[in-house]
Amino acid sequence: MAANFWTSSHYKQLLDPDKVDVVQRLDKEKGLTLEEFRLIKIHMSLQIWKLALYVKVRQRVIATAITYLRRVYTRKSMTEYDPRLVAPTCLYLASKVEESTVQARLLVFYIKKMYAGASSSDEKYRFEIKDILEMEMKVLEALDYYLVVFHPYRPLLQLLQDAGITDLTQVAWGLVNDTYKMDLILIHPPHMIALACIYIACVLKDKDLTTWFEELRVDMNIVKNISMEILEFFEYCRPDSKGNILIPEDRINAALNKVAAKP
Amino acid sequence: MIPASDSGGASAGEEDPPLSKRVADRYLKREVLGEGTYGIVFKAIDTKTGQTVAIKKIRLGKYKEGVNFTALREIKLLKELKDPNIIELIDAFPHKGNLHLVFEFMESDLEAVIRDRNIVLSPSDIKSYLQMTLKGLAYCHKKWVVHRDMKPNNLLIASDGQLKLADFGLARIFGSPDRKFTHQVFARWYRAPELLYGAKQYGAGVDVWAAGCILAELLLRRPFLQGSSDIDQLGKIFAAFGTPKPSQWPDMVFLPDYVEYQYVPAPPLRTLFPMASDDALDLLSKMFTYDPKARITVQQALEHRYFSSVPAPTKPSLLPRPPPKGESQNHKPSDFNSQDGPLVLSPQRKLRRVTLPQDGLEGNAYQLDKAGEHVKEVRHVDGTTGQSGSMPMSIDLGAVFGSRPPPRPTLNSVDRSHLKRKLDLDPEFDYH
Repeated sequence: MAANFWTSSHYKQLLDPDKVDVVQRLDKEKGLTLEEFRLIKIHMSLQIWKLALYVKVRQRVIATAITYLRRVYTRKSMTEYDPRLVAPTCLYLASKVEESTVQARLLVFYIKKMYAGASSSDEKYRFEIKDILEMEMKVLEALDYYLVVFHPYRPLLQLLQDAGITDLTQVAWGLVNDTYKMDLILIHPPHMIALACIYIACVLKDKDLTTWFEELRVDMNIVKNISMEILEFFEYCRPDSKGNILIPEDRINAALNKVAAKP
Repeated sequence: MIPASDSGGASAGEEDPPLSKRVADRYLKREVLGEGTYGIVFKAIDTKTGQTVAIKKIRLGKYKEGVNFTALREIKLLKELKDPNIIELIDAFPHKGNLHLVFEFMESDLEAVIRDRNIVLSPSDIKSYLQMTLKGLAYCHKKWVVHRDMKPNNLLIASDGQLKLADFGLARIFGSPDRKFTHQVFARWYRAPELLYGAKQYGAGVDVWAAGCILAELLLRRPFLQGSSDIDQLGKIFAAFGTPKPSQWPDMVFLPDYVEYQYVPAPPLRTLFPMASDDALDLLSKMFTYDPKARITVQQALEHRYFSSVPAPTKPSLLPRPPPKGESQNHKPSDFNSQDGPLVLSPQRKLRRVTLPQDGLEGNAYQLDKAGEHVKEVRHVDGTTGQSGSMPMSIDLGAVFGSRPPPRPTLNSVDRSHLKRKLDLDPEFDYH
């Protein structure tokens, strides 16, 4: 939405980086490491993406859903809020908030389809409508009912236009998508994330935009720091040639089992 | 205390007992105030602040689609909108599987003010009510939110006299990428001509038009343009302001539902509003500009000469208001709807809450007796004062029996049974 970011709840809720990637106490007691915590968040973001492709919603619904998921886990433990249920619930809630509602029963149908022919671990992904609706209420509460989220997509297009490099749209857009595998949206204003993606795209495609960036009068240090974070993420979790990120299933399952285990 | 024996349909079914019930350890539940499209509204005391609040209990759609879509929209927007002239969403919480929204308690609404014949509205009072309306709207528009359901019934009045916009169940953020909106918004009488012509892309101007209708209604003390269908509504608009020429509104002919109307010239605005000041008329004509692109914005309206010229707007705390409930001994004879106590948090569609008697048994008996008297009085008034006196009455009947064009307040089942009870007390009453 084009509305005013600076007066929004999203802006007021931006967090310090050191407040974001923190394993909740309950999860820590179960032995969940920071790396596993990150892996689960990446994995669940990808699950939301996959499910969204089935139910066909707009990009910003996906982005909002992942933002909700990540916000929830800055406040709540995975022990109490099973990520396998929180993920589809966030997609459900986001679809309503972004005015392109997906019916809960459709979501449940596709979840079952996605995990059909399941091994025992996949059983745990199966939920009924009732579960999603119950979790919806809990997610709303965890979000403190703040639902409006801004995304880098729109500023990205405007900035690319302004810089006259619309030929980089595809690359930069893909980079913005990738930022949702991280917690950047909880920390930085969306247009700064967009600028970082443009910055990386320029480096990748050998475009010199130094003067354009200088004239923007934004803090280039922040833009560069965000860019570094994105690049570091790629080092850590390298996408394959198709841009997919593969996380070994056994590692995910091991991590998820930790938080699912009864104490 | 003896529970109300005749609590009608309002607290029927799965409702909790209405008195002194603590909700979520914080709120002391009081009487039911009314029923909206998506749930019951009750009064409560916030034990944390001592404040009186109104709690909307959101009905879950039979466990199929989770939190009501309209309610979610309202939550989403009200969490972003904090302004003295916008209803405050104080809290939200789940309780027994239902979502509850806590709002500040509002004593009355502008419709009740306009309809209360015991209230005299001075030019200063009208200016003050309009100014507060526009201030609330300006804040919304600054945040890119169009309200889309502006009408006196949705403008609530707090105990300190502040007017606040409520009911954001239809509101949309108009910067959204898919800017195609439905034109089925607003109660018809407040609908801008572009909406009546089926425009899908419209903006803040629709709220300005509605605010113009509200100013007109404050001046006339009755709804200004009371169309009985969309076609009729346009006819009424054109009769008042003249059929628009394409030169006045170039985009008109391209609107989806555009039809040509026979040309009628505009009568002088002065003849429609004989008592209004020149400044008020000038502002009205600017708010009723046909071309939404040329229509005055809310911000410009607030800067209009009307607000800086004498008389100055009345201070909110000094504005005339209907008596708060319990004191309403002197009643308005011709209106069942607006007099049964404070009206709170109007729901999305014109469901008009008739609040049930709040004071237990004796209150009920009293109320029913009175209702009987009302009917007689009304009929008496009908004979003597003719049209203006009978109008609201006939509208209510129309709603009950479905034989007339939809009036502003659509009655829900609770209201209906309540009204029917009232009518039953008068055997002579003519139903048709």
